[in-house]
Amino acid sequence: MTTQDMTQASVLPARRRGGRLRAALPYLLSLPSLLVTIGILIPFGTAVYYSLQRYNLAFPFTRGFIGLDNYAQFLADPAFWNTVRVSLLYTLLTVGVELLLGLAMALLLQRRTAVNNLLSVLLILPLMTAPAIAALMWKLMTNPNFGVLSYLVGLAGFTDFRWASAPSTALLTVVLVDVWVYTPFMMILLLAGLRSLPRQPFEAAELDGVPASFVFFRITLPMLTPYIITASLFRMLDAIQQFDIIYAMTQGGPGDRLMVFQVQAYLEAFTFTNIGRSAAFLMVLWAITFALSNLFIKQWLKLRERTHHAAG
Amino acid sequence: MSFLILDRLSKSFGAVKVFDGLSLAVAKGETVAICSPSGSGKTLLLRLIAGIYEPDAGEILIDGKAVTGLAPDARGIGMAFQNFALYPHLTAFENIASPLRARGVAEAELTRRVGRVAEILKIGHVLRHLPRELSNGQKQRTALARAIVADARLLLLDDPLRNVDAKLRYEMRHELPRVLREFEATVLYVTQDFREAMALGRRIGVLHGGGFVQVDRPQRIYADPETVEVARLFGDPTINLYDSELAGGAVSLLGLTLGLPGAADGGRRPCRVGVRPEHVELDAGGEAAPDGGAGGLPVTIEAVTPLNQNAVLLLQAAGGGEILASTTLQRAEALARGPRRAIARVRPEHLLLFDRDSGARIRTG
Amino acid sequence: MQRSSWPWRIFKALCLTAISLFFLFPILWVLLMSFQTNADILRVPPSPFFTPTLANYKALIAGELTGAGSTLQIAYMKNILNSFVLSACSVLLSLLLGVPAAYAFARYRFRLGENIAFTLLSFRFAPPLLVLLPLLLYFQELGLYDTYIGLIWVYQLITLPLILWIVRGYFEDVSPDIEHAYRIDGHSWLRSFLKIAVPLARPGIAAAALLAFIFAWNNFVFALILGSSDVQPVTVGALAFITASGIQYGQIAAGLVLSVIPTFVLALVMQRYLVEGLSLGAVKG
Repeated sequence: MTTQDMTQASVLPARRRGGRLRAALPYLLSLPSLLVTIGILIPFGTAVYYSLQRYNLAFPFTRGFIGLDNYAQFLADPAFWNTVRVSLLYTLLTVGVELLLGLAMALLLQRRTAVNNLLSVLLILPLMTAPAIAALMWKLMTNPNFGVLSYLVGLAGFTDFRWASAPSTALLTVVLVDVWVYTPFMMILLLAGLRSLPRQPFEAAELDGVPASFVFFRITLPMLTPYIITASLFRMLDAIQQFDIIYAMTQGGPGDRLMVFQVQAYLEAFTFTNIGRSAAFLMVLWAITFALSNLFIKQWLKLRERTHHAAG
Repeated sequence: MSFLILDRLSKSFGAVKVFDGLSLAVAKGETVAICSPSGSGKTLLLRLIAGIYEPDAGEILIDGKAVTGLAPDARGIGMAFQNFALYPHLTAFENIASPLRARGVAEAELTRRVGRVAEILKIGHVLRHLPRELSNGQKQRTALARAIVADARLLLLDDPLRNVDAKLRYEMRHELPRVLREFEATVLYVTQDFREAMALGRRIGVLHGGGFVQVDRPQRIYADPETVEVARLFGDPTINLYDSELAGGAVSLLGLTLGLPGAADGGRRPCRVGVRPEHVELDAGGEAAPDGGAGGLPVTIEAVTPLNQNAVLLLQAAGGGEILASTTLQRAEALARGPRRAIARVRPEHLLLFDRDSGARIRTG
Repeated sequence: MQRSSWPWRIFKALCLTAISLFFLFPILWVLLMSFQTNADILRVPPSPFFTPTLANYKALIAGELTGAGSTLQIAYMKNILNSFVLSACSVLLSLLLGVPAAYAFARYRFRLGENIAFTLLSFRFAPPLLVLLPLLLYFQELGLYDTYIGLIWVYQLITLPLILWIVRGYFEDVSPDIEHAYRIDGHSWLRSFLKIAVPLARPGIAAAALLAFIFAWNNFVFALILGSSDVQPVTVGALAFITASGIQYGQIAAGLVLSVIPTFVLALVMQRYLVEGLSLGAVKG
């Protein structure tokens, strides 16, 4: 029955015209991106290689392979530990403040009123400012001669408050600039998260007359946690390798107060021409960011998957 | 020679073998409905023919030419998707015009042809709308219009009525054959609904286990199924099936022993016996029973479900076991009055026997 | 959070005012400063009342700073032009390279694609100096140091992953059957890519391109290391300008204002796309 009149259909050898082109299409389409990727991986490999060398541009004849010596020297090197300490402190302070402030802003702007919509657009502007430019703006505002912030703290009784120039307040100042630039990012992501939460739990809680603080800690916060984690990881990745703000503001000073990883590595390479040591610094930073970025990518893909399913 | 020939197609996804040597021949102008439960690969079959997927082995011939390996745009096929697959950023007019544009039809001719198809399918008034502004029924008609507008030599319709409401489905079931005839198309029509298949297909193909188990005229599919799956798939209420044994030219079911005329008097063979509900004859039970119920099976009537002019009765046999029977509403009501008992009879020539392991039909006589 | 008693509402309004002040005041203050003379700027106490002057902007655009008796030639406008060239070309190149690749990654599951996508993404988060340091030495050998082409190529590090990942998400949301239908209608692969896939992913492409442009514009470190003043964008130029110009504060302020105008305008005009892009496709609608 099934092959009743199949007999007259001659069996032709299967031709796959165009089949080969079709199979190659995805590779053709991604070839340019592949080249760019290789273009990144080559210098990365070179950097790894440098980090295993004694390589100082000032003494080209001493160049040679020294294994892990650059890294081993870090263990007893106060400059290295200072860098680790400053970078971590900077990261924790900025991300912590930005998270709390961003969450507060998202909650305040949650309802879609005309004022809130306008504000949430205007509040993105600091994020649109280049971090290096933002640092320069704040440098103007904290200028001891005419800076409006210097004038204001002067009114409050802090005469001779020297902001980024004083060892005691330098970190505070750059953290302030970082908070100014990046808090809006937290706000946007958390605001989008808040607005995408299902409504039913909140409506039910309202009907039951549940107190607002309970709603916040037991419903809002747990449901918002994936967004908080994603946004915080993203910010930590950026903060631990902050360069622009600190370089534009103080170039790592005063003293070694703000010697975060990338500023330290930059000075090692361009002031002290010690390429090997600079590369080793960056490799340590890379190890940290690699671990963080894996966490972030996983978390982000999970979140994306979820919202895409929710959206249908 | 047949217009469309599928010659021993095989297709696997990983370890899952969907088709294994599937073959089919469709004559020019013929409509073949492909009907089978979901998951049997109906949609995949259409996609192989359209060139969205390539078979692992075998050959597809359209009008005598092998098209295997050709890109979808080189096959000259019209296709309507189950989910419509309309272009959301183009108007209904542009959606329908797309195959004509691909063929380089001049503007005036294009407008005329889109207009004609739209008129036949009664969507002339919504041609300027975007798909999201159309109702489900209009979307479905637009998708259909797009499939047929270019007089494609082969139409593949993938369950096009699946996502429309019952009333519209009923209307279209009657309207579609007329439209298809008008365009003189050769059609493969995929559906899960056996009634739709019986209304639309000149022949029906039943896919099961990697190939067609039966390709035949609708009446034959119903009356003379090749396998137990075909018997179960076609018919509402579904066929009654009982495990039994073919022995000495007779089978027994529910305590009845029925001799099969012409059955070989061979050894014992495990089988399944099928009885269509309309072949279950019912007489009044109790004292009113003719011959005192001899040769029949005493049953109690458990439930009566009206279905149009007919009714479906759920019967409980005295020795255990359930039977579905179908009869006129009038008669069912008469039987259900009173003590709700009856005598059920089945004629041996109405029995359908299947092999218990393979499910293949056992023909006697 | 629906409590609307009076004290609560006043508290919320106060918080919002304080927050707006913190985030918007610096922009406003620098803007005001850019219209002031040095005398106005240095007045104590600072006053919002002054006679606005366009002298600072005129000096910048003319490229000649006068002050304290000397004249200084500066090429700040050139820096702004560089920013435009670098950002726009980088985004265009990334679109050309990234949109087809994003399509391939969305439509075809293949190992190489996943590897490229993840490598690019993870290097988006790696310390840029790590790649820039060896690149500087390579670039000097290849003659790419201090060229637009060299910088645009390196800018792909920022712009390409963004476009790849955001646009990929949008392609994934387009039902493949829509493209299949178009192919069956008789159109070629290229036509279906250009007429169906790309238009349907357009919001994502716009969001990604916008975001990539802003990130490229705001980049600082790439050109700091791989270029000299000839090709450097305004971010690096501004720093050099401040060092060079000394105490011409009004002109510094005007320079800063000019440098942020393009991204601010883009953000305000295309804010809908911006929010979608900023959440990296993680949150839609």
